[in-house]
Amino acid sequence: MADILTVTNVTKKFGGLTAVDNVSFKIREGETLGFIGPNGAGKSTMVNVMSGYLTADSGKIVMQDIDITRKKPYERARLGLARTYQIPRPFLELTALMSVIVAVLCGKKRVNQSFEDAAGEATHYLEFVGLFSKRNILARDLTFYELRMLELARALATTPKLLFIDEVMAGLNPGEATKAVDMIVRAKEQFGLTVFWIEHVMAVLVEAAERIIAILYGQLIADGTPDEVVNNDRVIEAYLGKGWRDYA
Amino acid sequence: MVDVEIKRDRIVIRAGGKKWDWMIEPRYWRNTLYWTIGLLLFPLIAYFLSPGLINTMVAANIYAAIAIPLSLMTVGTGRINFGPNFYVGIGGYTAALLSIHLGWGPIATLPFAIILSLFAAVIFSPLVIMARGLYYVLLTLLLPLVFLEVTFIYTGIFKGDVGLFGIELLVQFENAKLNFLSAAYISAGIMLLYLLITNKVLKSRYGLIMATVNDDEDVAHGLGVNIAKTKIITFVCASGMIGIVGWFLAHYFGTFAGITYLPMTYMLKILLVFMVGGRAQVFGCVVGGYFVAFLEMILIRTMGQFQPVAFPIILLILLFALPRGEGLFGLYRRRHYREYMPTIHVRR
Repeated sequence: MADILTVTNVTKKFGGLTAVDNVSFKIREGETLGFIGPNGAGKSTMVNVMSGYLTADSGKIVMQDIDITRKKPYERARLGLARTYQIPRPFLELTALMSVIVAVLCGKKRVNQSFEDAAGEATHYLEFVGLFSKRNILARDLTFYELRMLELARALATTPKLLFIDEVMAGLNPGEATKAVDMIVRAKEQFGLTVFWIEHVMAVLVEAAERIIAILYGQLIADGTPDEVVNNDRVIEAYLGKGWRDYA
Repeated sequence: MVDVEIKRDRIVIRAGGKKWDWMIEPRYWRNTLYWTIGLLLFPLIAYFLSPGLINTMVAANIYAAIAIPLSLMTVGTGRINFGPNFYVGIGGYTAALLSIHLGWGPIATLPFAIILSLFAAVIFSPLVIMARGLYYVLLTLLLPLVFLEVTFIYTGIFKGDVGLFGIELLVQFENAKLNFLSAAYISAGIMLLYLLITNKVLKSRYGLIMATVNDDEDVAHGLGVNIAKTKIITFVCASGMIGIVGWFLAHYFGTFAGITYLPMTYMLKILLVFMVGGRAQVFGCVVGGYFVAFLEMILIRTMGQFQPVAFPIILLILLFALPRGEGLFGLYRRRHYREYMPTIHVRR
């Protein structure tokens, strides 16, 4: 499998705090890569650096032979990089349909596509995530689960190659969480995506990811299959503390 | 090669690799047409009944013609500009100086008024990217006030204290009433043209992109929206539109004084039109413009010296009493909901 994204020695500092410290890894095309770490480990900073919201102090990010380290978020989106947010960030004053139309119109240049054509395409993504019946409802009136699905539809509408999913399980009840995970797996298969999945719930990633990387205090501490990472002493220590063996 | 195809409910235009659909279904434009006809009949009726009303109508059209681009600017930049009258000053002074010193007529000064307004807007456009919140408010608020000071400092050029005289008039009939009537139609024409353009833009893909910038520009950026380009283009175009109003004022009155259009009082009137009509609602700007102009006129006639006190008090009460952010137009819209796009609310 070819690499879709290569992160090389990326460092990001906020004043005296090093949030991401010399991190390097590769995302292979078509895989689901899990990204774990305890609170404050630097996961969200890493995603923000990769999606262009923050600029890396040093290091390089290459997406399919294109250096995107200094590219702006909208340029990265047009290259095929989409993301969802840990706390949904819908366009509150727009309907579900309008929110997705924007992504269709701006995500990638399409020849001969009018506003109305974009609306037609947007309904396809809304139907996929199960929000077709809610297409004319303002985003502020949707439930939390529906907002998560709207974010997914919006991200899919940009026709991404690589999708960053930021803690999709947060705030969902078990039934909704199962549906959300199934939806992501289906989206990956149907749209041929590569998924970079940040998650706190290990059980989900062990099930869904082919590979997992772990981060602690901004440094990469593990990279391997779910089994390898789950049994890695440094990962267990990061989550349970140094004296975990005494209680095991 | 432009290809135009007329369908039952829309006109489809294809040019290059792009395609536009223009909805022509009657339910989307019927009400607008009725209101436009009413607006165009009004000066004619006033001409025979009470010609003084024509002046009030011109003032209302001017308020609306400034507030409409301001609405567009607010939506497209996600920020409220507190100094739209700065561009009135730029457009007005350009027209006035060219007309007085070079003897140019309104047609000749118009392109220069537009170009200089656009040029000033381009110079100050980085503000929409660099500043937000209170900083943006303060910076935009300062621009007309600094310009006003400049007109006093360089009084030899701008005649800051008394204003510039001898500008060629827009229309010159022997009958003064006819002059007013034609000015009313020109001002209504400018305002309706702005209304048409702005409404069309806000209902198009560009309007939707502006709405996302207004709502959450970071998320819009991540979806592929070039927010810097969107904000700068909107800011510059809207400023150019406001500059044309300055040109009109200079050639309508034949005089132009910064002291009339650049101080806080004029700017507050525009912002009240914007708020009372309905924030960032283009049709609301027309309602607000007429309401403020006619309220001002009625209060001057009925309350005399108390007008400057009563006028802001009434408007402030209205701001609290009207539906939040929706203004007077919001009251109408609640009963006549015919739009296929939701209203764009300003969240800052």
